Amino acid sequence: MVVVMASSLTVTNTLSSPKLKTIYKKLSIPIPTRLSSRLLPNPKTLSSLSLSPNPEPRTRHRSFAARADSQNGAKPPSHYDFDLFTVGAGSGGVRASRFAANFGASVAVCELPFSTISSETTGGVGGTCVLRGCVPKKLMVYASHYSHEFEESHGFGWKYDVEPKHDWSTLMANKNAELQRLTGIYKNVLKNAGVTLIEGRGKIVDPHTIDVDGKLYSARHILISVGGRPFIPEIPGSEYVIDSDAALDLPSKPEKIAIVGGGYIALEFAGIFNGLTSEVHVFIRQKKVLRGFDEEIRDFVAEQMSLRGIEFHTEESPQAIIKSSDGSLSLKTNKGTAEGFSHVMFATGRRPNTKNLGLETVGVKMTKNGAIEVDEYSCTSVPSIWAVGDVTDRVNLTPVALMEGGALAKTLFQNEPTKPDYRAIPSAVFSQPPIGQVGLTEEQAIQEYGDVDIFTANFRPLKATLSGLPDRVFMKLIVCAKTNKVLGLHMCGEDSPEIVQGFAVAVKAGLTKADFDATVGVHPTAGEEFVTMRTPTRKIRQTAEGKPDSEVKATAGV
Amino acid sequence: MARKMLIDGEVSQPNEEEAHYDFDLFVIGAGSGGVRASRFSASYGAKVGICELPFNPISSEVMGGVGGTCVLRGCVPKKILVYGASFRGEIEDARNYGWEVSEKIDFNWKKLLHKKTEEIVRLNGIYKRLLNNAGVKLYEGEGKIVGPNEVEVTQLDGTKLSYTAKHILISTGGRATRAAIPGQELSITSDEALSLEELPKRAVILGGGYIAVEFASIWNGMGVTVDLFFRKELPLSGFDDEMRAVVARNLESRGINLHPRANLSELIKTEDGIKVITDHGEELIADVVLFATGRSPNTKRLNLEAVGVELDQRGAVKVDEYSRTNIPSIWAVGDVTNRMNLTPVALMEGTCFAKTVFGGQPCKPDHKDVACAVFSIPPLSAVGLSEEQAIEEAHGDVLVFTSTFNPMKNTISGRQEKTIMKLVVDAETDKVLGAFMCGPDAPEIIQGIAVALKCGATKAQFDSTVGIHPSAAEEFVTMRTVTRRVSAGTKPKTNL
Repeated sequence: MVVVMASSLTVTNTLSSPKLKTIYKKLSIPIPTRLSSRLLPNPKTLSSLSLSPNPEPRTRHRSFAARADSQNGAKPPSHYDFDLFTVGAGSGGVRASRFAANFGASVAVCELPFSTISSETTGGVGGTCVLRGCVPKKLMVYASHYSHEFEESHGFGWKYDVEPKHDWSTLMANKNAELQRLTGIYKNVLKNAGVTLIEGRGKIVDPHTIDVDGKLYSARHILISVGGRPFIPEIPGSEYVIDSDAALDLPSKPEKIAIVGGGYIALEFAGIFNGLTSEVHVFIRQKKVLRGFDEEIRDFVAEQMSLRGIEFHTEESPQAIIKSSDGSLSLKTNKGTAEGFSHVMFATGRRPNTKNLGLETVGVKMTKNGAIEVDEYSCTSVPSIWAVGDVTDRVNLTPVALMEGGALAKTLFQNEPTKPDYRAIPSAVFSQPPIGQVGLTEEQAIQEYGDVDIFTANFRPLKATLSGLPDRVFMKLIVCAKTNKVLGLHMCGEDSPEIVQGFAVAVKAGLTKADFDATVGVHPTAGEEFVTMRTPTRKIRQTAEGKPDSEVKATAGV
Repeated sequence: MARKMLIDGEVSQPNEEEAHYDFDLFVIGAGSGGVRASRFSASYGAKVGICELPFNPISSEVMGGVGGTCVLRGCVPKKILVYGASFRGEIEDARNYGWEVSEKIDFNWKKLLHKKTEEIVRLNGIYKRLLNNAGVKLYEGEGKIVGPNEVEVTQLDGTKLSYTAKHILISTGGRATRAAIPGQELSITSDEALSLEELPKRAVILGGGYIAVEFASIWNGMGVTVDLFFRKELPLSGFDDEMRAVVARNLESRGINLHPRANLSELIKTEDGIKVITDHGEELIADVVLFATGRSPNTKRLNLEAVGVELDQRGAVKVDEYSRTNIPSIWAVGDVTNRMNLTPVALMEGTCFAKTVFGGQPCKPDHKDVACAVFSIPPLSAVGLSEEQAIEEAHGDVLVFTSTFNPMKNTISGRQEKTIMKLVVDAETDKVLGAFMCGPDAPEIIQGIAVALKCGATKAQFDSTVGIHPSAAEEFVTMRTVTRRVSAGTKPKTNL
């Protein structure tokens, strides 16, 4: 995202290089330029000069042990082309590479050629988030949300001569121009950090060697950050199906689309196409959307999306896709056949990109899903090979990959063994309305803590009272009855992702309900509801038999 | 706001012991603070009466309405108009996203005005029901204090009612004032601005505070030509200087004509409109001249001198930390005390009052780290100390983290408007002292940050929070590099 980039550039310029330069200056060592540090096989690093501001004993990884004796700017002996070679320049890979370079390591990263659709041979600097995920998705959400705003605007006195119409090709052209710009920015970010970018497909040859399209590179450490790709199950007619990559770059607007899947990707695309005036049908195997989310949120978001015109078909599993003579598609499920779709999209999960990487030959262990197994420091079963991001299938979110990449760079090149911290990671679903959440769901909280107090608010926001639209907002706080700590916070409604971020700081810091109550509201906002929830909607207590018992209390007003 | 009020208290038993008073509590003024204090007192078992002037969107000595400033002529109608005005920018932005919007777009002010009035009438009704459900007796009329335990209510028909009460609460709020210049009677205040019959074509606004800035944005969004005059170099004095500059830039880039370091010296009625003469000798013609030059507490006709309730120089009721006046049986909350004139603060003061007096829990309202918002377009939101205040108050160095970026939405819409975020941190303790944002959704984003800040969260705790991607708010937890470090005791560098 652009936002991240702006500050990232600052970091590159202000944090590392001037600091480094000062240190070099003080010791009257020739300052290696960024360029030379890329070309020299053995650039001087903070660690190698034993100038680490944090003079801790060597880490368990002994990252620079081989070079700890390199002094006085003399060229130390080395066996490796690079200190770090990263395979995959997505969120995690770029972050780890840049930070490693900032800490003084010589770094190379390889990435497949740019394409909006990913495959075994195409990718692009920026990765899923920038090219096929967060960014294009959010741009499409913005585009599609306008139809709702036009509707709202009627209630506020706005009238259009002709109702606004959407032109698909303008959106695609402007979106793709933005993606091109961003991939360029990412390349610059790498370049400015002194990271060598190699275009091509990386393959592990041995624990210290990577093959990129026939050329071999040696590296002290190898990082695998190749991410994941949409997965479509093999059923008859699956060749007619599009995945989220294709859905973000369609040549024309789908007239009528079937989306198979109930996860966040399915819901986000349902909202996008619905807002861009396609007829949208969502087919889910279960009774409810968004498995894993708080039950009340699951119910609420499905209801709100239905009110905006999306049709949900629950407990329907896809069995085949049939193309009829007029070119339209039918979806056969266990319950029957739905016909007349211009597009069928599967949002049926993603799989790590671990095939044909040479992992088996060097003995990198993988899970049944094909994800790379790593320890708490992101180290694989091979000590010189590391992995971060979606390829490890831990928590598949950009900011988590960034955290893992940042932590890895610190561990390897700053003598600061750092574990990514997976507690209270907030996340969002950019459905319409969107969801923001942090911490435990009610179900998880009961399981873990037993006695919890639930505070909820379900209201019609001020904007909807004027627009006349059936939009509502749902908010929920889950509080530990014993400690008063806020264990979970959930919201579905306009601006939820933006609203939840600040609360995530509070939840992560372990703040209590009393702390929330002591905070004065910002009026009139939706966010203020989270600090003005006075009465529990229900108190859940373990009964003697150990079964949760929901006691609805209505101590009003106090 | 109106939504949470639907759950409410039971009618409680009158306290037998205090039966020689008509009421345990009589409240004058049914705005945010008064209604909250009444309801909560009643829920603690007190017998409560409240009086309020008859409903009118435009307030005066004899007009008001249950709900008060916030609901009838402040936060709520203002936000409705801000929503209405924001659509212009949205429609402009939609085009590059592929939306073909006809050049002819019509904005119907009368429709919005009508719907706004409908909404505040609805809220007025909800507030009345709320009081009724809480068992609070509502009287329509003007309340006056007769003695330390006696009030008199003059009803619409002129009849007077007299009641005794163990405690009296003054929560009469405040009203907009006009600058005293020749022709000032031609100007309007925010009350009228929220209820204009016709949308002006040319508006002149005098004032640099949040009300002035909000109306500038509202009218600008509705297609009105706006000239904004204020005395200082930048609007919004009291806010962080860097943020003030951003707001000024945004107002200007949205098409509002800013006139810093300027004042109005005279208004003259002409055939073409109101001729506005500035202190620089400039002349403008406007259809409407809005004075957003401050508000003063409604204390004049309360007969406070009869019992000797002390007022400050500005006419605000003086209170102690528990909102008690110098007369032990008389209390005051909200804008009439001119402490921090915000609805949620009045609510807090009203709650603390009820707890203290009827809940058996002495409770002081805490005015520290109160977040607030300016609903300009785009909005500004703030919590905690400004950079200038932090430098003044901190013992050691102050670290300032800023992030200025092009919001993702603008990358396609092409709108040239940066969002700016800022954290002010105490270098010694790592505590976040202040957080600021100017950009879309700023008020919503700041609310959660305010919880963290209020509880003394450190920059390290902000940093350890994972971002929500892609959002604007994630910038608050990803500011890694300090923008500047200000040494203790040095004055900030500003040209303001």
